[in-house]
Amino acid sequence: MTRGRVLVAMSGGVDSSVAAALLVRQGYDAVGVTMKLFHDGGEIPDRPCCSLDSVNDARRVAESLGIPHYVLNLQDEFGHDVVADFVAEYAAGRTPIPCVRCNTFTKFRDLLAKADAIDARWIATGHYARLADGRLQRGRDDAKDQTYFLWGIDRGVLDRLILPVGDLTKTETRAVARELGLLTAEKPESQEICFVPDGDYVKVLERELPAVALDGTVLGTHDGFARYTIGQRRGLPGGRAEPLYVVALRPDDRAVVVGPREALLGRGLRAMTVRWLVDPAPVVGTTLHVRVRHRATPVAGTLLAVDGDAVEIALETPVHAIAPGQSAVFYDGDVVLGGGVIAAGRRTLPVRAA
Amino acid sequence: MSAPPIYLDHAATTPVRAEVFDAMSPFFGPRFGNPSSAHRWGREARAALDEARERVAQCLGAAPDEVCFTSGGTESDNLAVLGAWRVLRTQGKRAVVTSPTEHKAVLVAAHQAAKEGAEERLLRIDATGRIDLAEASITLGTDTAVCSLMWVNNETGVVQPIAELAALAKAQGALFHTDAVQAFGKVEVDARAIPFDFASVSGHKVGAPKGIGAFYIRRGTPLEPLFFGGSQDRGRRPGTENVAAAVGLARAMELAVLEREAHWRTFEAMRDALQAALEAKVPGLVVHGGAAPRAPHILNVSVPGTDSESLLMALDLQGVAASSGSACQSGSITPSHVLSAMGVAPDLANAAIRMSFGALNGPDDVARVAELFPALVAKARGLAGVA
Repeated sequence: MTRGRVLVAMSGGVDSSVAAALLVRQGYDAVGVTMKLFHDGGEIPDRPCCSLDSVNDARRVAESLGIPHYVLNLQDEFGHDVVADFVAEYAAGRTPIPCVRCNTFTKFRDLLAKADAIDARWIATGHYARLADGRLQRGRDDAKDQTYFLWGIDRGVLDRLILPVGDLTKTETRAVARELGLLTAEKPESQEICFVPDGDYVKVLERELPAVALDGTVLGTHDGFARYTIGQRRGLPGGRAEPLYVVALRPDDRAVVVGPREALLGRGLRAMTVRWLVDPAPVVGTTLHVRVRHRATPVAGTLLAVDGDAVEIALETPVHAIAPGQSAVFYDGDVVLGGGVIAAGRRTLPVRAA
Repeated sequence: MSAPPIYLDHAATTPVRAEVFDAMSPFFGPRFGNPSSAHRWGREARAALDEARERVAQCLGAAPDEVCFTSGGTESDNLAVLGAWRVLRTQGKRAVVTSPTEHKAVLVAAHQAAKEGAEERLLRIDATGRIDLAEASITLGTDTAVCSLMWVNNETGVVQPIAELAALAKAQGALFHTDAVQAFGKVEVDARAIPFDFASVSGHKVGAPKGIGAFYIRRGTPLEPLFFGGSQDRGRRPGTENVAAAVGLARAMELAVLEREAHWRTFEAMRDALQAALEAKVPGLVVHGGAAPRAPHILNVSVPGTDSESLLMALDLQGVAASSGSACQSGSITPSHVLSAMGVAPDLANAAIRMSFGALNGPDDVARVAELFPALVAKARGLAGVA
């Protein structure tokens, strides 16, 4: 007896391979898909798609599981929603997370439409996160937890989402892959942004720009503010009494503002395009935990103000390098309450307006 | 799923016919010799290869020395375009002429010729998918080395006026090649009737295995080989011959010639019945190439408000195999260059579904797809918010 049709996104990596295998084992009618998100090479003229090893790996895993597999061409959508935004955000002096937008738009909007097209009740991915009582929760493997990238999905999706590896540690996932003889069992971890395989995102963003110190002194010139991220130390002038860090990026005059480590400490933040994954949404005055970058320990904070989809948060303990463009994700224990894109860090403790 | 699956993708490939399989099998076993060897095993293989060549030649109205065995359509197309260009460039010719609806094996070979100094010219395609004959002779000019045009289009089934086009090209002093991969077995491909210099035929489209094809070269036509090595096939295609596949190809081509007219009628009846049913049940259905003469085995349609990718998935999950007409290596679907060249708007081109008939189909298949397709379309349009 089948538990219904599930569309499972298969990247060709071990996590989604195991996700698909577990769904089959649990009796779902699984249909595997690999999303073709960007054009990765000009070796075949006139052909905007070409064979990726990862697509082939996913197809072979699907074949070995006895499930159908399709390649979906989402290059136009991904280019518009993710890559174009990535460039625009860097140009605006922020540090974007393309994975958040990919999850929000590409996976859990465009892919969901494909699930509808084939009457799939469910959609599944190999993310390390869990679902319980219709709420998104952190994965069991704290080192692998991917909820930081998932806050942007539509709350309605949670009712249709299955995350088969969220209850596993990475080690257990690999063990399952080996036990099933999946050819992806020993594939190395991918940490890079998928469409910047050599890590050199700056290629597309290069500019000649001046560098300025906190007090306004021009310390030197840099080779493009998009090369810099809040909190970065590498690539700054040395030979000073205390090490310098990037503390702000000012796109208006293309300045990279540098200062001492203390200048990086933030006591609050403003986030925009906030989405809540719980209903009802938290109200002003709620205490929650906030994570400002992937794998950072969530710190306690208070929801000070809600203005449409923008919020103001006060942090109980100072946090280093709150970078505009990164995500702020709000937790209650393991439960993901929601998240947003950081608009600004606050160096002094914000207080609630009277 | 209870009903048996329906294969509607014969333009992509066909199963090896039992007669072909049987004809080939001795050459994988006892008759394994190398046709170039002087001993009895070699002689036996050589005799089989020569006989296969004679039989293929018969099927094309050709002499045996005008037939070359290749790996298939792509190699034959490359050999025609590049082999002819590389000889004639030394004789003052400078252009390679094709059309925008050609197979990539021709288009990309023409790009390669352009990298080697050729001027690439494309003949104009009208909205029905046919080449504009009036304009063709002007575009061809007297400086054309080789003109390559597909006889039956693999995506739409549109039949080009190859006799007229070959005559035009010859009148301008150009060599003329036709990709007859989809034409062979559907229309009469006779080198005595039509003055083409080269023609490509692919085995796996007509019940022979993948990896074998026939390439027709009119006697006395200059051609530079793509491969270099031994003297096999008069040096035009060095490499130990694939004897078993050549024997299989000969058998498949003979059967295709014998059955050609009957197949035409059978496929046309199924294609027309399905087209009529879909036109009746699916409002707004567009039949690509429907206004031009078409080979009978291909039906290419678009439904506004749907997309090929989703519809093909849904069809496959119901057991019906079709194609968008432009599948590529990774298996993802991109808009068809053929439909774009015919002026089909991108949204509609992105919705194209090619269904191609062949030996595996019968009237029951038409009836089932005539029910299923409109139902899937109605659902897809509902999701897309189209009334």
